[in-house]
Amino acid sequence: MLQKSRKITFILAIISAIIGVMLTVQLRSSLHPVHKESRSIAELRTTLQKELEKHKNLLADISKYNQLYYQYETSLSEDESISVMKEELARTRRMAGMVGMEGEGIVIDVVDAHTPAEPAMDEHMPVPVVGDYTIDDEDLRWLVNILFANGAQAVSINGHRLIATTAIRNVGDVIQIDTRTIRAPYEIKALGEPEVLLSALKLEGVEENFQLANKKVLAEKRDKLMISANNETRVIQFMKPVKEKGDS
Amino acid sequence: MWLPLIGLIVGLVVGFLLDWRVPQEYSSYLSIALLAGLDTIFGGIRSFLERTFNVRIFMSGFFFNTLFAAGLAFIGGFLGIDLYLAAIVAFGVRLFNNLAVIRRIVLSKWINQQE
Repeated sequence: MLQKSRKITFILAIISAIIGVMLTVQLRSSLHPVHKESRSIAELRTTLQKELEKHKNLLADISKYNQLYYQYETSLSEDESISVMKEELARTRRMAGMVGMEGEGIVIDVVDAHTPAEPAMDEHMPVPVVGDYTIDDEDLRWLVNILFANGAQAVSINGHRLIATTAIRNVGDVIQIDTRTIRAPYEIKALGEPEVLLSALKLEGVEENFQLANKKVLAEKRDKLMISANNETRVIQFMKPVKEKGDS
Repeated sequence: MWLPLIGLIVGLVVGFLLDWRVPQEYSSYLSIALLAGLDTIFGGIRSFLERTFNVRIFMSGFFFNTLFAAGLAFIGGFLGIDLYLAAIVAFGVRLFNNLAVIRRIVLSKWINQQE
C-alpha cells in the first residue's frame, strides 16, 4: 500500500512539473509578446498630424474638382465652355511643367556641414573623417516627395524642373535627373505655401536625416520664386490625335 | 503530499531557465491546454479526497484532455469555429465545480476534527 501511494505521488510530482513548465511558458509569452507596438507616442503623433494634413489636402482637391465639374455642367454657352477648357488646358500645362511658374515658395540648399575645427585634446586620438559621405538619389527623391505631398506646385533641383516622369537616380557616383548630371551643392526650389512646406520638412525630420550624411539643410521662404519650364525633349510614344467628328 | 509541490516548483524553475516562448498566435492553444491540465489536477485532488483516485484515469485524463483541448481548438480555428471558447467554458465550469467539492470536503473534515 505504501509503495503504491509513493508511486502515485511521484506521478503527481511529474505532472505538476509539466504544469509548472506550461505555466511559465504561458506567463512569459503573455508578459513579453513577440510583436508589440514599438513606436513612441511622439512618433505616432507626427504620423497622425501628417495624415490629417494629407486628408485636408485631399478634401481641398475634391472640392476643386467638384467645382470644375459643376462649371462644365453649367456652362451652356459655347464661349464659356471654351474659356473653361482653356483654363483647364493652362492648368494642365502648368502641372505638366511645360510653362514657367512664378509665385511664393521655398528654396532649400543642401550644403556641406562645417564642423568647427576643435583643437584635438589628445594627439593620439584618431580624428574622425568628415565630409566623406554623400547623399543619394534616394535622399533627394524622399525630399522631393515630401514637397509634392505637401502641396508643392512645382519643384526644381539645380534648375531642372521635375515633371511626372522625371527620374532621379544614381548613375555611377553622381546623381542624374533624367539624363542630366547634377552635382553638389544641391539647390531645390519649390512653389507652394511656404509655411506648409517648411513645417512639413520639420515634421519629417529632413534636417536630422541629412545631418547623418554630414549635410546641412538651409530652407528659406521666398515671396517671389521663378521656376522655369521643363525643357527636355519629350518623345510621345503611344498617343494619337483623336479625329474630330466634323473633320471628315 | 510534499512531492507534487516540489515537482511544481521544479517545473516553474525549469520553465524559467528554458526561456521558451510561444508565438502569440499559438498562445491561446497553450492556455487551453493549461486550463485542461489544471482541471485534471483539481479533478485528481477531488477524487483523492473522495477516495476514488485511480492513477490510470488521472494520467490518461491529464494527457488526453490537454492534447484534445489544444487540438480541438486548433481544428476549430482552422474551420472558423470558436471551439476554444467551448473548451474554456467547459473546463472553467468543471474547474470551479471541483474546487467547490474540494472546499466542502476539506471544510467538513476540519469541522469533524474540531468536534
